[in-house]
This record gives sequence, structure tokens and C-alpha cells, in this order.
Amino acid sequence: MKHKMTFTLVSALFATTAMAHADDLTVASWGGSYQEAQSKALFEPAAKAMGIDVKQETYGGMSDVKLQVSTGQVTLDIVASGSGSAARAGAEGMLEELDYDVIDVSNFGPTLYSKYCVGGDVFSTTYAWNTDTYGENGPQSWADFWDVEKFPGKRAYRNKVAGALEPALMADGVAPEDVYKVLDSEEGIERALNKIRELRPNIDVFWSSGAQQAQLMKDGEVDMTTGWNGRFDNAKKDGAKVAYSYNQALLDYDCFAIPKGAPNKDLAMKFLAEISKPEYQDDLPKYITYGPTNNLAFETGVIDAATAAGLPSSPENAAKQLPISLEWYAKWETVASEMYQEMMTE
Amino acid sequence: MQATPANASGLRVDEKLERMKLFGLSSPALLLVLVILVIPVGWLFYVSFLGGNGQFSLENYQRMVERSSYMRIFRTTFEVSLVTTGLCILIGYPLAYFLSQIPPRIANLCMITVLLPFWTSLLVRTYAWLVLLQKQGLINEWAMALGLWDEPIKMVHNMTGTLIGMVHIMLPFLILPVYGSMKAVDRDYVKAAANLGASPRRAFWDVFFPLTMPGLFAGTLMVFILCLGFFVTPAVLGGGKVIMVSMKIVSNIELFVSWGAASALGVVLLALTFAILWVASRFLKLDQIAGGGH
Amino acid sequence: MRSQDSDALPISIRGVTKTYGAVHALDDVSLEVKSGEFITLLGPSGSGKTTLLMVIAGFTRPDCGSLKFGEREVIRTPPHLRDLGMTFQSYALFPHMSVAGNVAYPLKLRKLQKAEIAERVEKALETVQLGGYGDRRITQLSGGQKQRVALARSIVFEPRILLMDEPLSALDKKLRDQMQIELRHLHEKLGMTTVYVTHDQREALTMSDRIAVVNKGRIMQLASPRELYERPANRFVADFIGDSTFLPVERSGEQVSYGGMPLKFVQAPPDTPTLALMVRPERIVLSSEGPREGANNFAATAVEVVYQGDSYLLHARLDDGTLIALRGGVRGASLSALPNVGDKVTLTLAPEDTVLIDGSEA
Repeated sequence: MKHKMTFTLVSALFATTAMAHADDLTVASWGGSYQEAQSKALFEPAAKAMGIDVKQETYGGMSDVKLQVSTGQVTLDIVASGSGSAARAGAEGMLEELDYDVIDVSNFGPTLYSKYCVGGDVFSTTYAWNTDTYGENGPQSWADFWDVEKFPGKRAYRNKVAGALEPALMADGVAPEDVYKVLDSEEGIERALNKIRELRPNIDVFWSSGAQQAQLMKDGEVDMTTGWNGRFDNAKKDGAKVAYSYNQALLDYDCFAIPKGAPNKDLAMKFLAEISKPEYQDDLPKYITYGPTNNLAFETGVIDAATAAGLPSSPENAAKQLPISLEWYAKWETVASEMYQEMMTE
Repeated sequence: MQATPANASGLRVDEKLERMKLFGLSSPALLLVLVILVIPVGWLFYVSFLGGNGQFSLENYQRMVERSSYMRIFRTTFEVSLVTTGLCILIGYPLAYFLSQIPPRIANLCMITVLLPFWTSLLVRTYAWLVLLQKQGLINEWAMALGLWDEPIKMVHNMTGTLIGMVHIMLPFLILPVYGSMKAVDRDYVKAAANLGASPRRAFWDVFFPLTMPGLFAGTLMVFILCLGFFVTPAVLGGGKVIMVSMKIVSNIELFVSWGAASALGVVLLALTFAILWVASRFLKLDQIAGGGH
Repeated sequence: MRSQDSDALPISIRGVTKTYGAVHALDDVSLEVKSGEFITLLGPSGSGKTTLLMVIAGFTRPDCGSLKFGEREVIRTPPHLRDLGMTFQSYALFPHMSVAGNVAYPLKLRKLQKAEIAERVEKALETVQLGGYGDRRITQLSGGQKQRVALARSIVFEPRILLMDEPLSALDKKLRDQMQIELRHLHEKLGMTTVYVTHDQREALTMSDRIAVVNKGRIMQLASPRELYERPANRFVADFIGDSTFLPVERSGEQVSYGGMPLKFVQAPPDTPTLALMVRPERIVLSSEGPREGANNFAATAVEVVYQGDSYLLHARLDDGTLIALRGGVRGASLSALPNVGDKVTLTLAPEDTVLIDGSEA
């Protein structure tokens, strides 16, 4: 707690001093290979094209934004966020409404932008397996992931509720299109948790980060895990024996938002419009296997057919997947989190 | 009948001035304590009573009672801290004793080895244990190569790994004060006990051990309290199965996006820690031990 | 508590050697301590006296030698089985136990009944004049009281041998003088064989039956206080015990002379290659009537006169340049007859006080 606070205060301090001489934009994201990809494909070229200076930072998520907004000391102009937490932050009044007259989303998938957050990349929460253990033809559904007789071996699963309940229901035989209907009650959530309880003896690790998914697979610590497709591809590049499938995966997106009272709100809006253009978005897959949110990015010729076929947002892949429901997360995430925690601590 | 003593009032003024100066000199320290200790804790306390809408509310505490996971998390926290502290005593006390008995030159060298971990980051040490302990880690591979066991033993991503990592990190905090108090024990005491007829074992338990109690108590307390706030090590080595309060604090910040939910956990942890200290001081006459003076 | 000394044990030390590297802390030491005797190991620091005591107590393991308590060989017996009392220079009172707790500790180890322990503890405390102090904490005691508690603890289990390592060194002079007498009385009362270590020669002279003067790991002389003082075996002992000036003398046959002057003496000189005349300041006398018949006379010049209350000290230079000290009484008119600096004086030494000793250094 204290650590976290210090971190926030220190970063706020840095931001303040930075603001003193950089009059342009401050953008915060999650750091690591993810922010590197964003930086190379989106932030740097867009800043160059607009002739502005963009200062990049890493931040601790919407709790940092909340602190800034509640104390009136907003230093961040743009933050990268998970779609769910952005939806909740927006509902709590922590974000500026986005002006879609400025940002052109006419070629975005209809679920990839919202009132407060415009999609930046599309990714999948899916299952990956060790190809040494199961070969290339590993599990092809969540039911297979749960089937420890057909696929004996140790599993890793998420330590948070986000993206953790939907697979359990699909494994329990719920059709993808009915998943959020079933989850729309505490009983439904409990049903999903019970399914996870069933698998629990075979879950060796509850992972907490994308880096950890890659490490678990690379080190052979577990035979199967849930996780984000881009991380698995990067682990594979590093020599990990890992494969994954899009079948029944959860289609999700990261987005960009503007904190309420951002110092350069108007410029931030223009910057979001710029990086939403296909000519930037089509570069993203070069650095990480996350797909563009703007469909026109597939038509610029930068993304070749083979790459496109591997992206989560390619029409063929997207069709196999269940899109994450932001409405459900806005309504149920806190309750479901507490219930999930109870399952974890049993 | 007495004449006014010479300079009596002047000397009284001098004394008063001196006392004021002393107070003046210590005021920066008092201010510092106020600013870095009292105010943040007070703020924490205040914030913990704010609900999600920013109004006064008990919801942050209510949640802890209603959801069984909180109780279990507190129990895990205290269990892990207790066991870690116990293991630290079992390993650290004999080690400190050994160090206190060997020639000072060698002891100093060994002490550097004990303190070495202090110079590397906690994160690095924790991940080093992950590398050593995991299924295809160094220990399992060597042991299987040597034929000690055939199947990899699960030593990490569970309680075992957490305890190994925490004991390793906490050990110096126990050894240092214990070693200090051992060095302070006059060797004549043990000789005297032997001379009076005590076998080495009796002399140890009757005389040496009680005299090192202040150090042991200080070390135990320090380790235990530090353990209560551990985050990185259980998060990395516990495999998500060992959930301590600090981890719940972080996840509550992310989940509720409010300080209140997390602050309440901090307040309860603080209160429980004070309660334990209070009970301990009842039993062990803390002030006497902390004074330590012979 | 016992009052006859039949229970006391003699100590027999034979050929004990202890080396630390090239240094001989103890060099082939042999010493026979009689049953019930109060013997003092006296020597400068680093002489080996404490090492010898630690060998007896069992805390220092010698390289070789034999140590017997009575008939029992104990050189390989661990300290806790030697059953001897000991007081430490630091007192070594256990700070976490009360006064009574400390004194009771050896009795508890011997598994005595509670009632008997209480009785004997109180009795031991009374013996050292601390009756009723049992509940006090050690930290509440003065230095002298700590010393008494340490003593009570070391005698409460009625050991037949008592070792004391500089027990009075931390006390102020007045208390030390008083404790010396008390210890002596206690020894007479309890009668246990006592080995006492000190570097204070006056303390040794006051208390001991016999004194072993230790230097460089060896016993230089073992004798009664009086013999030691009157007839030191060599210059080291003479120098260490009391003040003395040594004058070079020549021997020719039976004749011993100083600066050409034949000396009158009573005790035959030792049969050593060289001799020295030992002059104690309180034995040489200032003669107001010039040279005295039947005594040895020395002409000298007064250099310094120091008034010291109970006596005066005269430093005078002999004709051969040796500085000699003389201590005189202050009774009657002797003070008014003191010489002035620069006066010629005559110093006389009676034949009984003319002590010739081995002249070699070491």
C-alpha cells in the first residue's frame, strides 16, 4: 500500500516537473514490450506527423487516474487502459467524454470504442499449451482445458476474475452466446466458480501478469495456461514450446482514454484521432501480435495475409471468439472479484 | 530569617531556558514524526471510513466481515508471518550462536556473507529462488541428476516456496540483533555457571539464553512485523495461492479504484499488529527487555 | 556450613605448561597447596597467575601436567564437575536472577530440597552480612555488595576449594581494606583451601598464608608473606614486593663490601655468582648524630623531602650516584630535624636489616 502510494506520488512529482517545460502531451501506458510496440507504431510517428512532443510514462492503472482527478492534480493527458476498467472509470466520472467528431471511428468494429475510450489494439484471452507435452494438436476448447484425463498436466489460471469466469462456463457446456446471460446473477457466477473449484487441484499457479504467463510456459513450470495471445507469440519467439488456439477465446481490446481535467485535453483528442488512423495501426502487428482496431488497417497492404490470419481481430479468428462484454464488467466486476477471491483463498 | 540566596532567580531562569532549548532542538524530530507518521496514518484511518461515493460509510469494514476471504487472508498473513518467524529463530539463533563463538576475524567474514543479501534487491533474490526451486529449476535438476529423487519436487508456487524465500530474506533481521546481544554477554557468566556445577547444556539454557532474550525478542518482533507487510515474495513464490494482506490491498485498489477499501485493510492490519505487540508486552515485560540494561 | 578444615582438599600442581604460540603462559609450574591453606598467586599482569587459576578451575586446558584435588586427578575433568567455588573479577552475577536466585543456583543444580535451599541461601547471605537482601535485583547492588553476593554464591554449596580471581580490584581502597580482613576471617571460619589471585602486593601480604610470586609463567618464589618480604629470593621478588633500592656489592670470601666498605650482616648471603644489597625505605634510618657504631653507614646528599602525613619520604643521592629512598616516622621532634635539600646526611642500616640477595636480573 505504502509502496504503491509512494510510487504514485513520485510519478506524480515527475509528471509535474515534466509539465513545467514540456507544453505538449503526456501519455501513460503499461510499460514493457507492450508499450514499446505502442511507442514505435503509434506514439512516435504520430507525434512526428503532428509536430509535437509526447512524453511517455508508465502508470499503475485507473487508481492513479483517480488520485489525480480527486486531488485536481491531473498531469496525464492520455492513458492506455483495459476496456473494462476504462468503462468503470468513465462511469465514475474520472474520464473525459471522447469527441467522435474529431476521432474517426467509422471503420472501427462496433464494439471497439465507447463513450470514454477508443480502442487501440485487439487481443485474445485464450489457452496455450506446451507442445512438448501435447504436440501441436493440443486442447481445442475450454472443455479440453478442463479435461485432465485427456490432457493430464498442470494448469495455470488467472488470479483475478477478469477473463476467468467465461471459460469456466464454456467448459461447463454453456454456449458462448449465452455466457453473459448465465453470468448475470450471483448464482451464475457461483456456477462458474464451482467449475474452477473442480479444476483447482490441477491448477499449480494463479498467474498475475502477462510476463508470468510467458515465463511459466518457457520454464515448463506448467503444461497449460490461460493468457494473452501476444505474450505467447513473444515467448515462442524466445524459444518456448508453446502453441495456442483462438477457438472459444475471449476477444478483448485495449483502449485510450483522457483523464477528467487533462491539461491538454484538446490536443489529446487530436492525438487520439491521429493514432486511430490506419496508417499507424497497421504497424502495430510488427511489434506484437495484437490486431488493429481500425478495419482499414488491413487494407493498407502493410499487414500481409499470413500475419492478418494470425491476428485476434482477423474476421476468421474473430468469428471463433466471444467478445468481452463491457456492460457485464461494469455491473458485476467488484462482486465477482470478491467471490473469486473467496474461491482462491479456500 | 534567611537572606535571599545569591543568584537564585537567575539560575532558575537559566535552567528553564536550557529546558526550552532542549525542546527546541528536538522539535524538528517531533515535526518529522508528525509529518511522516502521524498524519499519514491519520489520513489512512480517515479514508478507510469513506465509501465508494466519498461519503462516510462503514462499507469498507462491513465487506471484511461479510466476505469470508478477508478473514482467510488475515489468517494466512499471520500464519505465514508466524511460521517464517519461527523458522528464522530456529535457523538464525544457532547461526548467530556459532558466529558469536568463533574467532572475530572469521566471524566478521561470515557476517558479511549473512549481510550480503541486504545489498541485492529483494526482487532479484525472490526471482533467484524461483529459478532455483521451480520444476525444471537448478535444485530439481541437480537432485535428479544425482539420483536423489526421480520426479521433480514441487518447491515453489506454494507455501513452501513462499516460506523459503521469506526466511532467506528475513534471516539477517533476526541474526543481527541476536548476534549483538550474544556478543554483549560476558563470557564470565557461562564460566560462572559451569563453575557452580552447570553442565554446558544447563549453562546455556539457565544463563546464556536468558541473557540473549532481549536480542532475540527484538529480532523476532522485527521479523514478524516485517513479514506482515510482505508483498513481492509471496506474490512471486506463492503461485497466487498464498494471499497476504498486502496483496489484497493492492488488488482492492485496482478493483474498487478507491483508497478506502485498501485503507481499511491497512487499518485492521495495523490494529491487529498493535494488539499483538500489546499482548506480547504483557507477557514479556517489553519495556524491561527493550531497556535490556544489565 | 562447616567450620573444621578437615573437609578442605590439598591441591597438587605438577609440571603444568601452557603455551600460546611461542609464548609460555605457564612454564612447567609445580605448586603444592596444603589443605585449608590460603595461598595467593601474586604477579604483574600477563605473568600467568590468572592462567594458572583458570587451569585449576578447568577453563584453560594446559598442554601437559598434572592437577590433583586430594588424591583425585582432575586435569581432564570438565569445569562443572570439579566442584570448586570461584569468584570472578567481574563478579559474574547473573543479571536476570535476584540475589537469592544467584546464590541458590548452585544448590538447584545439586537438586536440593526447596526448603533447604532457602535456608542455606539465607545463611550464606548472613555470612557475608547481606541477610535479607535476597529479593534485590543485582543491578540495585553496590560494588561491595555484589562482591559479597558473589562470595556467598561461591561458598553456599560448601566447596572444599575456593578460587578467587582479583575479587577486590574493582572496589575503592577503604572498602578493599575492610573486605580483606573480612575475607580472611571468612577463610578462618570456613577453612576451605583457597587460591587467591591478585596483583596487589599489600593485599597478598595481608591475607595469605603463603604467596607464590609468578612472573613469565613461572613461580619465582613460594613463601610466607614475612619471608617473602624479608628474604626475597631474587631482585624480581624484592622489587615487586615493597619498594627497594639495590646497591651493587662485591664478595671476596666471607667478606661482602659496598664501595670498598665491608658490610655488617646477620643473615648469610645466598650462594649466587653476584650479590646485591636490598635496601627497603622503611629499614634504612636517617642518623642525626653521623655514622653509627655497629651499623652500616652511607654518606649521601638530600635531594628531595616529601611530607606524606603518616610518614615522610627522603630521596638522597649516595656518593656513587645511586638514588636511595628513606621512609621515616613523623613522631615527636623527628619532623623538625628533617634535612634541607642539598644537606649532607648519613643513612644507617642495622646488620639485621642488611639483606643480601641474588644480584642477577630476572
